[in-house]
Amino acid sequence: MSNRKMRGMMVVMALAGSTVASANAQDPRMPLKIDAPSRAAIQAILDSAAAQGLPEAPLREKFLEGYSRGIEGPKIVAVVRALAVDMAIAHRQLGALASSDEIKAAASAVHAGVPAVELGKIKKQGGLRHSLTLPFTVLTDIVTRGVPVGAAVNAVKSMVGAGAKDKEITDFQRGVAGDIDKGAPPEAAAETRAKSATPEKKPEKPEGSQIDG
Amino acid sequence: MAEWGRTTLEMFVEELQRPVRLDESFDRRVMVKVRRLYAAQRPRGVRAVFAAIAGVSRRPAWAAALAASVVAVASVGIFRARALQPNAGATRLEPVTFVYVNKTARSVSVVGDFNNWGVGDTALVATNHQGVWSVKAPVATGLHRYAFVVDGKEWVADPSALRAPSDDFGLPSSMLVVEDASK
Repeated sequence: MSNRKMRGMMVVMALAGSTVASANAQDPRMPLKIDAPSRAAIQAILDSAAAQGLPEAPLREKFLEGYSRGIEGPKIVAVVRALAVDMAIAHRQLGALASSDEIKAAASAVHAGVPAVELGKIKKQGGLRHSLTLPFTVLTDIVTRGVPVGAAVNAVKSMVGAGAKDKEITDFQRGVAGDIDKGAPPEAAAETRAKSATPEKKPEKPEGSQIDG
Repeated sequence: MAEWGRTTLEMFVEELQRPVRLDESFDRRVMVKVRRLYAAQRPRGVRAVFAAIAGVSRRPAWAAALAASVVAVASVGIFRARALQPNAGATRLEPVTFVYVNKTARSVSVVGDFNNWGVGDTALVATNHQGVWSVKAPVATGLHRYAFVVDGKEWVADPSALRAPSDDFGLPSSMLVVEDASK
């Protein structure tokens, strides 16, 4: 082999090697400043999630959130593991076609106390709805604000079943939040706002209600 | 006889060795014919690719280099695909305005999964002297969690946003659904 050919081959090999090396380089989203056991545990959780067909992004994000907040490694591992469990539960209810955001939103709802089976029912109500990310997120929000789980699920389920658009669901959430801030009972706020937000059923506001229209 | 024969042979050789005087356009016409013939026989499309590879494969050094390049490109593709898989559907960026009101704050920044929770990466600017802090930042479409960091140490949820469930890390955060404005 001539020297020229040899040099050419070495240049190509070096370029290829450097490209592979850069691809294998440390993921910048995974800081090194965490103890090795915790890091290994996180990696195991990520691998397990990938094997189950779960999106890794929410787990990585949770890890980074904990790291950025200065949380200790073992605590981060526990939280990430709990999130993986919630995501797996949500994934089973939503099916393989659920998007990463839908699984993430559903996992938040499960974490907030919503039974996973109810999420599956909302999905069935949704039919061909393009995404359930917003309904699940709103469900989590109103439960966090004190609306009982049953009332919150019924409200969201009725809106999704009636084909409410994302804007209507957002308006519903703002209405419930505003009513609760003004002193309305959370359950009543959710039920009343859901009725007024449902496209097919728009009953008049009940008299004497503490909830603003 | 031998002398005659050699002389005759030499005459033939001389005749054959004499340069042939050709028309000046002869070379050009020959090359046109050759190119047409080559073009008709040259493989096209996928066959051309395989032919090129087969040609390289006869040269071990270049074959090794080609193989290394293919492995490198494939590896990059695999790693990138793995890295991007979770957010594959959330690549479009939309401008989002974050607003926080705090009259006593000296600095406010927003941290969330859209900026890898980097404290100080996205600072809010005090737009007036009434304690209104804001920033417009590009955020990928999809669901995000975030919080404000006041004076570099105090983490607070966005009071005007969707609430995240009771936080696992003992600090509040909010949720944000960014929709694709083009849809």
